[in-house]
Amino acid sequence: MAEFTRLNKFQQISLTDGSTATVTDKLGEGGQGIVYRVKLDATGEEKALKWYFVGNFKEPRKFYNHLEENIKVGSPSAAFVWPEQLTVWNDDTPFGYTMPIMPKVYESFPKFLNARVRFKSEEALVNAALNMVLAFKALHNKGYNYQDLNDGNFTIDPNTGKVLICDNDNVMGHGQYSGILGKARYMAPEVVRGDSQPDKITDRYSLAVILFMLFIGEHPLEGKKTNVPALTNKYDKRFFGEEPLFIFDKNDNSNAPVPGLHRNAHLWKFFPSFVKDAFQQSFSQESLLKGRGRLLEQDWFNILMRLKSSIVKCPKCGDKIFMESDIETICGNHKVKPVGYLQFPKRSNQAVTVPIVGGAVLYNYHVDNSSEDFATIAAVIKEKPGKFGLENKTNRRWLVTSPNGKTTPKNPGEVLVLGADFKIDFGNNNSAQVIVN
Amino acid sequence: MSVMLDKVQVVKRMCPVIFMLDTSGSMSGAPVGAVNAAIEGVLPELISMNEDNADNEIKIGVMTFDSDIKWVTGDSELVTPDELKTNWQDLNADGLTSMGSAFLELNNKLSISHGFMKHASGSVAPVLFLLSDGEPTDDYKYGLNKLQENNWYKVAAKVAIGYGESNDDVLREFTRNVETVLHTDRPEDLKKLIRFVTITSSRVASSGTNAVSPDNNPVDPDDNTQQVANALQAQGGSLTNADADETW
Repeated sequence: MAEFTRLNKFQQISLTDGSTATVTDKLGEGGQGIVYRVKLDATGEEKALKWYFVGNFKEPRKFYNHLEENIKVGSPSAAFVWPEQLTVWNDDTPFGYTMPIMPKVYESFPKFLNARVRFKSEEALVNAALNMVLAFKALHNKGYNYQDLNDGNFTIDPNTGKVLICDNDNVMGHGQYSGILGKARYMAPEVVRGDSQPDKITDRYSLAVILFMLFIGEHPLEGKKTNVPALTNKYDKRFFGEEPLFIFDKNDNSNAPVPGLHRNAHLWKFFPSFVKDAFQQSFSQESLLKGRGRLLEQDWFNILMRLKSSIVKCPKCGDKIFMESDIETICGNHKVKPVGYLQFPKRSNQAVTVPIVGGAVLYNYHVDNSSEDFATIAAVIKEKPGKFGLENKTNRRWLVTSPNGKTTPKNPGEVLVLGADFKIDFGNNNSAQVIVN
Repeated sequence: MSVMLDKVQVVKRMCPVIFMLDTSGSMSGAPVGAVNAAIEGVLPELISMNEDNADNEIKIGVMTFDSDIKWVTGDSELVTPDELKTNWQDLNADGLTSMGSAFLELNNKLSISHGFMKHASGSVAPVLFLLSDGEPTDDYKYGLNKLQENNWYKVAAKVAIGYGESNDDVLREFTRNVETVLHTDRPEDLKKLIRFVTITSSRVASSGTNAVSPDNNPVDPDDNTQQVANALQAQGGSLTNADADETW
């Protein structure tokens, strides 16, 4: 059997492409192995080297081949810190692979959950969610599934919300199983119950858990009911498999957050109804017990875009809030409602709206229905006494049509005044309508 | 900062790591020095483990047993690695090896109603770490029998280190697993071994281990001692691989 040995500084490692790398530092150690910093001898480029505790593997050769296959098929997107080169291996030594070094600005998601790190802005928070969702969309589109999705896989830049996903070792092609079922509290209930193996559908459950924890800072299934003193596997199986119940279940409040214990749960009330609906659907009894009705990544993407464009300063107190488009939003001890909103055609059956409040932002996503660009600003809502306007930040000319049928062009840089029932044509069959509340 | 970004730490379960350290007279000098250095040295590692773990929080209890039994970390509750680091005072060695009394006292404290196990968000299975360098000088059997009826003991990850003249059979009776009793005769290795075993067992107990399908891992999920045994084994398990404190 392969025996584990640690690497020493200056030790040279042979990679499968015939090149070599030299160990320069130790970066970290976990349950699976050790991560070293190495320097590629040919180019001087720095990489990370993951070095496995080979004794963990029942069939190391199978795992090695699996990694080889993933390297060949390639990374689903730039968000994945994907294996690059395997080390040469002869069955009775440890092995590992090189991967890009994580830039220092990225912090592990558990550090955010532990309140050691905070997002710099609401936009960065929502960007993190958008980046996670797009990464998993890319992964699933490539025919992979993740299988052991949990908080430890994510590192996030708190300034921008950029996400890097690491520990992609158990990513499998469709229909293949790594043998890893996942981490307790993140595994889909059907996996916990032993009814099914991890796949795309169970990934989607885990992703919803991650998103919920990102926004609310609580576990979606941990409330009154699960608050027992001794958390053995028997209880884990019950709470996360056999009798799971969302803490904000629409019909059953018996697992509601415990006041004084679940101290982030109050954040729920600050989220718009469409986000609450998405979580209530994701953690409905249908989803938890039958695996039905889970949101696709594309659904989440549209919901999160709506959330991103709902970020405005409260017109009453100036605090940043998520503003509903067509109903009242609670902010502190007051309520606010916009004069109206921009309504875009639905995307994958999800409503797309932006509240008409000074400072609200539209992105390329809004003016181009084939775009997933949530960073490039396409328009900004302006406000001055008695008027709301929309500034064209694109490089295209827009056409504005008022209800009386009069059409006016608006060039890049110009501001159009928003009137009731105006229609704005962004070109290429993209348009929005002004709806008055 | 707006309210949406101002979160407090997520609710975590407690992961108790409890040391029972033999500070009898025979440990005095280099051995107890190694223990002091090991415990103090491992705390930063446990602090960083806690920072990167959003499921469970390691809390520590340190008991010394010689002619008397003493909770170095206080007898009301377990402490965080941060607190212990701030308040750590080196242990001294003197007296007999009252291991039976140590087992009885541990049994008392492995209790929700009158011990360490009361925690608002619950506790996962603890790590119980026993270090000894000699024969028990009291009726260890009686204490151990009592302890073995305790439900926390039953699910705990139990590890032990024997040093020098230790009776490793007794240690194996405590762990009920031959693979989680390690032994050394050299004080310079003792420090490394304590560190290696503490880090590995704490990591396994606190990590909410990635469950694997029964085909790949026939270990009973509640047998936390065997989980630790496997993790020790996977890293080589031998002392020569135990230089976990190498710093470059």
